[in-house]
Amino acid sequence: MRHDLALKSGLALLAGIIFLSPVLYSIWMSFQTASSYYQGGFVATLDNYWRVISEYNFARYLFNSLLVSGLVTLAGLAFATMAAFAFARFDFKGRDLLFGLTVATLMIPSHITLIPNYLTLASAGLLDSYAGLILPAISNGFAAFFLRQYMRGIPRALDEAAYMDGATPLQVLWRVIVPISRPAIFSMGLYIFLAEWNNYIWPLVAVGKEDLYTLQLGLARLYSINPGEGLIDWPLVMAASTLTILPVLLGFVLVERHLVRGITMGAVK
Amino acid sequence: MSPKFTPYLLAAPLIAFIAVFTYVPIVTSLDLSFRSWNFMSPERPFVGFDNYWRLLNSASFWNSLTVTSVFAVISVPLRLALALAIASYLKRDALPSRLLRGAIFLPTVTSTVSIAVVFSWVFSTDYGMANGLLVNLGLGRIPWLQDPKLALLVVIFINTWKQLGYDVIIYIAALQAVPQELYDAAAIDGGKRSQVFRRITVPLIMPTTYFLLVISVIEAFQVFTIINVMTRGGPAGATDMVVNLLYRTGFVLFDIGAGSALAVLLFILLIALALLKARIVGQRIHYEA
Repeated sequence: MRHDLALKSGLALLAGIIFLSPVLYSIWMSFQTASSYYQGGFVATLDNYWRVISEYNFARYLFNSLLVSGLVTLAGLAFATMAAFAFARFDFKGRDLLFGLTVATLMIPSHITLIPNYLTLASAGLLDSYAGLILPAISNGFAAFFLRQYMRGIPRALDEAAYMDGATPLQVLWRVIVPISRPAIFSMGLYIFLAEWNNYIWPLVAVGKEDLYTLQLGLARLYSINPGEGLIDWPLVMAASTLTILPVLLGFVLVERHLVRGITMGAVK
Repeated sequence: MSPKFTPYLLAAPLIAFIAVFTYVPIVTSLDLSFRSWNFMSPERPFVGFDNYWRLLNSASFWNSLTVTSVFAVISVPLRLALALAIASYLKRDALPSRLLRGAIFLPTVTSTVSIAVVFSWVFSTDYGMANGLLVNLGLGRIPWLQDPKLALLVVIFINTWKQLGYDVIIYIAALQAVPQELYDAAAIDGGKRSQVFRRITVPLIMPTTYFLLVISVIEAFQVFTIINVMTRGGPAGATDMVVNLLYRTGFVLFDIGAGSALAVLLFILLIALALLKARIVGQRIHYEA
């Protein structure tokens, strides 16, 4: 029985490696020099990483991606949590309309907002700025909807007890609702961070200054610098690509279960 | 703060951002779609349905619709069939299936730009993995991304590889929700495996199939990153999908009117699909309750 499990696990692992082989090979390739890659032989080197970071400014792109995704996640979670609390716990005029407008954003394709948002930021002088990258991504109707559903499952008796003790609504939110909702908030945080980390089309239109490139933009530009067949320094490009997926890869190993739960909770049920 | 205003203040930041960056832009797009403008000129003259007529009479608009439709017609059934087959195999919560599930799910959360770059290498003519395998088998090299017929298939392959994990996860959740008693009863009646699959499993997970069907079609009409990084819509427009045309019209040709008209048409199409999805999800909740 135990041998059977080991064998099956081995086969599954093998199938997984074959499935992921292009990505795994690209990581392997990133540790070679261009000459060892094209002429055969293998030289293990970190050279490509140093070049990508020093010559091609990827340290800056990494910083930009972390800053933008981090701030979008924090602000997105804060606004979604506050609104979810209002929708889940208060009776107020216009609530159903406002909640409806929030949920309806799930259906609205982001491409219709592309040109107008570009114009809005241009007229506010915010193109080519961190604010321009961050502001349009902050509102997250899905997170608000998801957290509201979760909060409705928390017994109201807990809020009422806190109110009896003289707590204000903000204290109830911060001390009672948020700690209990932590798993849901965590899942949503991951979801928002990943989506923003991988965002490509908005930085592509909103940013021209190279100093503000995110990793996605930097990688795409590095690749397109010399797209001619055979001219590309593949090991160098793969080092940049590995830097771009590495944080997600590390995070994935740690939190895969939360990610899966967030996704299935969103779609099934 | 007065208790009466509390909920408004709590919801205000989210609502304000949604208004400024989602609802006002819809109105702006509609307005711009009736104007002629190139980002530069101070005037934005009203031209009625001119932009729409220009679109409907342009070959690139119909080409992008055709390319996107072909993409959807091939990739959606392929994804669903593969995902269902894999999910039925991996639905148990044992270690081997968890390992493989993790591997298949990984590309779903990985950067699309990285994937596009990695697969540009895989399908490059001289040094790529795909042609390397062909040469090892004694076959010739294929110019994957230079051949108009093949380029779209390559893009479909990459997109399927990337999105498969999502479909598999959703199907596994659906399969695990099928009551075990039904399978037990079928076993007592001596049902064959294929019969059980066709008569019990497939009908019971139909709502999930509809759901995945609609969202993959919606996704097909939003594919952009792979195209922008790998092919820019080429060769000869063979991979020029709708959003790529939208991006080119707006941000390369600066034809804001036509770009906005295209955005409005895409918006109407996707809202119709999204409403269909909402109906399906609604039915599903009802059905499970």
